[in-house]
Amino acid sequence: MSEERVIEALQALSEQDASREASPDVETRLRVQFQSRRRRRAWRRGTVWGVAAAAMIVFLVVANRKPPAPTLVHEVATQAIAVQPEAVPAVAVKTTKRVRKPVMHPQEVVTDFFPLMDPAPPFERGQLLRVELPASAMQMVGLPVREDRLADTVQADVLVGEEGLPRAIRFVSFELK
Amino acid sequence: MSESDEKLLGRMLEGDEEAFTTLYRRRQGPVYRFALHMSGSAAIAEDVTQEVFLALIENGRRFDGSRGPLLSFLYGIARNRVLRRIGKERAGEPVSEEYAGGENLLDDLTRRETVEQVRRAVLSLPEAYREAVVLCDLQNASYEDVAAALECPVGTVRSRLSRGRAMLAQKLAAHVMRSVS
Repeated sequence: MSEERVIEALQALSEQDASREASPDVETRLRVQFQSRRRRRAWRRGTVWGVAAAAMIVFLVVANRKPPAPTLVHEVATQAIAVQPEAVPAVAVKTTKRVRKPVMHPQEVVTDFFPLMDPAPPFERGQLLRVELPASAMQMVGLPVREDRLADTVQADVLVGEEGLPRAIRFVSFELK
Repeated sequence: MSESDEKLLGRMLEGDEEAFTTLYRRRQGPVYRFALHMSGSAAIAEDVTQEVFLALIENGRRFDGSRGPLLSFLYGIARNRVLRRIGKERAGEPVSEEYAGGENLLDDLTRRETVEQVRRAVLSLPEAYREAVVLCDLQNASYEDVAAALECPVGTVRSRLSRGRAMLAQKLAAHVMRSVS
């Protein structure tokens, strides 16, 4: 059989099936999926703006706060009397010796950064802001949170771009080392 | 003038449901028929069509217009889904037949019988040749668009199509011989 005949036969098949298509149910199911995804995106955007607002508030509070007075971990005052050489009048010397006890320093443990914009515009520079958020924010990026801990607060670093939009977030916990 | 697929996709990704519906209605038919001709099963074709557009909703941003038109992108997704499905279900087992000549196929059979015989013959082709024949001859896609969908050079598409047509000629001729005898 010639190739022309084969092409002719294939065209007959193509013409016969030209009107075949997926049932209307498929379109209905897909539109439901589309609407569901659109709602998820809207919720996520809302959460992102919430995080951004929280970040800005924390930033403004931190920027306007006076630096705290330095605190000492431990202070011990001692008195010492200097040895009195004969030619020199006796002088009482009062010294203050500060002794630091060994302490456990909390060490930061951070997660990876999770992007908050999809797709993200080009990033050149930005600012990292430490904020406190409800633990439920961790669910936003897919991290597991126990139901009874959702109302707890967690610390997070929000990377804010030059244009003021939050680009990424990471969560912080502390371990004593 | 109607809006291009790519513009509709852009609007769809911004959440425009009307753009999605327009794009779906424009392209579901070719995707469905491609899956149908590849699998021989209307149920698989329907499932694959749904999966393809679901993938577009979820991952439409992965489409790169420099690599081919959107329809090729959709065919590419459909191809992977169909091959996965028929790999599991083996809907169309290859028909092994002896080859013989014959020039009067369309004269010898009624049109309907011919069409069904062609359908079976296409389904019996090895997958690599089947997808080239289905896309080029049944979906009337250009070699370039088929190459983009199959992620292979245009020359490969041409050679697979040529080989696929030759195999079809042999299978259909064998059917004519059986019908005559």
